[in-house]
Amino acid sequence: MPQLESFADLLAVAEESGKPLDAIFLEQESAERDLSAERVFETFLDRWAIMKDSVRRGLAGGKSFSGLVGGDAKKVIEFTRDGDIAGGRLIARAIAYSIAVLEENSRMGIIVAAPTAGAAGMVPGTLLAISEERGLSDVETTRGLVVAGGFGALVAAKAELSGAAGGCQAEQGVGASMAAGALAFLLGGTPAMSVHAAALTLQNTLGLACDPVAGLVEVPCVVRNGFTAMLALAGAQTALAGVESVIPMDEVVEAMVKIGEAMPRSLKETADGGLAMTPTGCRIRNQLYSIR
Amino acid sequence: MISLLDIVGPVMVGPSSSHTAGACRLARVARALLEEEPVEARFELHSAFAKTMRGHGTDRALVAGTLGFEVDDARIKDALDLARERGLAFQLKPKNMGPEAHPNSVAIHLRGATRAISILGASTGGGMIEIREVDGFPVALSAKDPCLLLFYEDRPGVVMRASEIIGRRGINIASMEVLRRGKGEQAFMRIDLDARLPADDVDALKAMPGIHRVHVLDRVAGGAPIT
Repeated sequence: MPQLESFADLLAVAEESGKPLDAIFLEQESAERDLSAERVFETFLDRWAIMKDSVRRGLAGGKSFSGLVGGDAKKVIEFTRDGDIAGGRLIARAIAYSIAVLEENSRMGIIVAAPTAGAAGMVPGTLLAISEERGLSDVETTRGLVVAGGFGALVAAKAELSGAAGGCQAEQGVGASMAAGALAFLLGGTPAMSVHAAALTLQNTLGLACDPVAGLVEVPCVVRNGFTAMLALAGAQTALAGVESVIPMDEVVEAMVKIGEAMPRSLKETADGGLAMTPTGCRIRNQLYSIR
Repeated sequence: MISLLDIVGPVMVGPSSSHTAGACRLARVARALLEEEPVEARFELHSAFAKTMRGHGTDRALVAGTLGFEVDDARIKDALDLARERGLAFQLKPKNMGPEAHPNSVAIHLRGATRAISILGASTGGGMIEIREVDGFPVALSAKDPCLLLFYEDRPGVVMRASEIIGRRGINIASMEVLRRGKGEQAFMRIDLDARLPADDVDALKAMPGIHRVHVLDRVAGGAPIT
């Protein structure tokens, strides 16, 4: 199989071989790493177990070191148990689980970056919510995780995935886009639908600034993982319904890179702009750093 | 193509893949190059790295990597106290490296009982790193795959002898880079390998005429799992 370099390559290989996306990505990874496809898949299964555990630990609650965040995932899931939520159980779970991972991250707990730590919520959050809703086994869900990884790798071939280089669009935008592609795959979409899901999701995060209050991966990062998880669900839902992205995924990625370059440094993980520099953001920063 | 396991990964202690896990890996590379227990560590942090240092635990992660901890080691949280217990003196300060430098750049200077090493590296997102300088030599190193760094006196035949030692073991050279400060002065060679070179062969490299030192980096910064 030729080296995959773009989403266009991926769709061409899928079309020609008739293989599912996860098989294509496993074959690629296996050839390149000199590992059996089974061994690669086992590693993904291990990572899926750690991801689920990070959701569980996150839901148990507890504040971050700064005290700014923690306990929100629990609030969302408990409210759902009371039965009343706009949008239903799947959405509430996806939000709660995605926030839970980031809350655990903010306590310096163990998480799996996907693609980064600040954007580690929506892939496990949405995949766990959908696997519970549909009764999917770990093996089935992990096939979706492989697709998420493959999509992220294709984006990373053209873009650096860090807030410092590309703003939040390059972290949470890409994470949500990976999740959208995986969800469309798990729900029986065609390869083209998965790529449209990813493209629709990514294009709706373009321009998203990285402006963390006091430089912490807390505000707005933690709750934002819950909100971008929604975008992933929306991307999968619309793509499965047949909505197509007018701009192809490869070009959306290029647009993201150019927007990232055009963004001022103050909005790229320096905590020098945006929410970080609001009066409240500054007050929080001053309080945190004077206490230490 | 970038490894899928680098995208869904690393498994790590939060809160930031570039500012915690990447920082830890950069310091792990410096430690591996020092090849002895560091007693003193100085870190100079540029731009985004300096701005969010405390909030992202970059200070703890750099010190943790210097102590040899992996990115998923729960002790990263307590690295500053552990360093004090173990007698590692450390200092962190901001340094403006100019507009061309990657925003997540750090210069790491380590000193052990008998040696010292300096590297300049950048954390390039998702826990991935790039070493850009080793002791002043420009390099491009991800430290994911097995790699050899040779410092030697510039003279004819060194490249040939080194590749012969590697070749007779049947190990493939993935890529290599040769640099020198000037004709007959100190030279530097980076050799990326497809497999780990046995210790005997590393010793043979060290015994070559004109060699000052040989470093082995074997998947210090993650890389594919081993079957």
